[in-house]
Amino acid sequence: MALNYSSIDDDGAFSFRNLERNSKLEKMGLKMPSFRKTGTTIVGVTTRDCVILAADTRATSDTIVMEKNCEKIHYIGKYMHCCGAGTAADTMQVTRMVSANVSLQAFKFPDEMVPVVFAARSLRQYLFKYMGYVSAALILGGIDDNGSHLYSIYPHGSIDKLPYISMGSGSMAAISELESRWNENLTEEEGMKLACDAILAGVFNDLGSGSNVDLCIIKRDGTRMLRNYLTPNKKPATSKYIYPAGLTKVLAKSEIKFQITEETVMEVDA
Amino acid sequence: MSLISHCGGLQENSVHDLEKDEVSTGTTIVAATYDGGVIVGADSRTTTGSYIANRVTDKLTKVCDNIFCCRSGSAADTQAITDIVSYYMDLSSIQMGEPPLVRAAATIFRNLIYENRHQLTAGIIVAGWDKKFGGQVYAVNVSGTIVQQNISIGGSGSSYLYGYMDSQYKDGMTQEECENLVLNAISLAIKRDGSSGGVVRLGVLNHTGSIQRKLFLGDQLPKFYDNVLVKPQGDISGGDTTMA
Amino acid sequence: MDTVIDRGAPKARNFEPYASNGGSIVAISGKDFVIVASDTRLSEGYMIYTRKQSKLFQLSDKSVLGCTGCWCDTLSLTNIIQSQLKSYLHDHNTIMQPGSIAQLLSTLLYSRRFFPYYVYNVLAGLNENGEGCLYSYDPVGHCEKVSYTAGGSSGVLMQPFLDSWLGKRTVDSPVSEEEALNLVKDAFTAAGERDIYTGDEVVYNIIKKDGIKSGVVQLRKD
Repeated sequence: MALNYSSIDDDGAFSFRNLERNSKLEKMGLKMPSFRKTGTTIVGVTTRDCVILAADTRATSDTIVMEKNCEKIHYIGKYMHCCGAGTAADTMQVTRMVSANVSLQAFKFPDEMVPVVFAARSLRQYLFKYMGYVSAALILGGIDDNGSHLYSIYPHGSIDKLPYISMGSGSMAAISELESRWNENLTEEEGMKLACDAILAGVFNDLGSGSNVDLCIIKRDGTRMLRNYLTPNKKPATSKYIYPAGLTKVLAKSEIKFQITEETVMEVDA
Repeated sequence: MSLISHCGGLQENSVHDLEKDEVSTGTTIVAATYDGGVIVGADSRTTTGSYIANRVTDKLTKVCDNIFCCRSGSAADTQAITDIVSYYMDLSSIQMGEPPLVRAAATIFRNLIYENRHQLTAGIIVAGWDKKFGGQVYAVNVSGTIVQQNISIGGSGSSYLYGYMDSQYKDGMTQEECENLVLNAISLAIKRDGSSGGVVRLGVLNHTGSIQRKLFLGDQLPKFYDNVLVKPQGDISGGDTTMA
Repeated sequence: MDTVIDRGAPKARNFEPYASNGGSIVAISGKDFVIVASDTRLSEGYMIYTRKQSKLFQLSDKSVLGCTGCWCDTLSLTNIIQSQLKSYLHDHNTIMQPGSIAQLLSTLLYSRRFFPYYVYNVLAGLNENGEGCLYSYDPVGHCEKVSYTAGGSSGVLMQPFLDSWLGKRTVDSPVSEEEALNLVKDAFTAAGERDIYTGDEVVYNIIKKDGIKSGVVQLRKD
């Protein structure tokens, strides 16, 4: 077979082409690069008539903050959103895929809302198939004809349906707020406050979480995505540093000249 | 009937180490037959390492109306298996026009676990009631052995219960006696086993063809000998030290 | 029988004597002053132990040691240095000069060459002539006299920034106290944005002939 570097031959699934090579290289002492982990605080809260999702906005790679304002609340459907923790690439891809499936389902049954459990099952079956190697820890929240639902989905593919959830490295800090203050009669405002406070607990007490608070309120009369709802960590003012242009010394120059041997003009029909 | 291929995955023989932060139901589960049906019971704790991921878990999972299972081991594995068995049982009830046999569900559980025993961590107790055999309990262990029992205990908390069950269980108990036994057993295990806890969930399955559930919150559990604060008589230490 | 599944043999716990508690240090020396600054966050893993722990240790009225890395080693090392300085004072009836402290520190660190103190040190002081002097160390006692330095968890982030502004300074255009202090503040502000182990507050000491002046600057708390 001719060399083929695309992954189309792998049935559209993951390509394990480099697996053997990499494991050999690793044995020879190569250090594999670390992936961008979203050391994260994410929470989901159900209230009397809506579901609220909230997330911090820090993405880290080891001890370095790679992105100070990333989006961790992903769109799944009109009445469904999903918070993701774990490897950033995995959460992105998994939610994108399920979002596509949810749209297809919505086209198939245009008169009803897509059941939240449909997205939960899709996510679970995918994650279970990859035995935890696709490391996406998710909080799925949404509304359908049966009411409001909140699920937590772990990388190995287990699902829990709960009234309030926190996940990620800041889950300990966040759950303390939720466990002490949640009740089943929260109003929307109280729910928003509680979700924000839970995220803030993670932002300030967990080093993997930081920057701003994103909020998503899912209600029967529409979904509100409040990006950067709180920004408690603004950068302090610093002096202006202007580096004059041309600081880098040019050591050598070389020029490549092309010879135009032929010129053609093609007309394209409008 | 490969589990992975059922979910559309590649069928490979490679054995992987499961990641250490896997969600597992360090559990106490009990199922017991009585005169006329079965009682199933479980605690409600789900842990990831030392963190309680869910303190109100429902480990009594419906397979079909007349059959329930108690899950222990990896949460992901047991949920996935139960999903598949549930699918087969639904199919069977439609094809046969009557509720499936408990034995049929248990056998599918056994097959799935046995065929995939290297990739799974799942210990499941299948319990239910059918017209042909009445109330039954089947235990399927992690390596895929199936055993029919009158009473079965499972999960990490079960090691504290063998003696208690051997001494307390009798054939032909009434429903109430049996409910009390299961409730007491799980309460005792919750006290001793760190990986079990939360509330106690009970379910009764009998000729009615559907489950009747009962919930006992943490402060409603029966109390047992627990007076460690009382100084033993004739204490030889002499001091007034008390253990907190 | 192959039905027995191996659920992992008992694992041996490795001996882990070190912890990494984060924190950064920046120091800049000038003609008649030296600034040394540290952040005040003490942490491990994803946890903050305290938001108010300075990593500056005053050794005399003319020298301050900045020390980060493994906090228990920091405490141990600074205790030993301080007791050595005290006995030097009693023996010689004079305070040890920064140059001598620098050598003492190097010897101390190297004495544990094969089980090192896991610390990054920066020693700042005023020498006999009242000029600012700065010594930068690695954990096993390599010592170098420098005019500015950054160390600790954000050392690699801040050092290039200092290089770009102070790298080409000559004797004719020395850095002023005000400029140096601004550079220190801005270096920490920038590092606090990107390093999870640097944050909360910056404490700085400006050592001059007439005494040590200290101050605090706020950083991100997340």
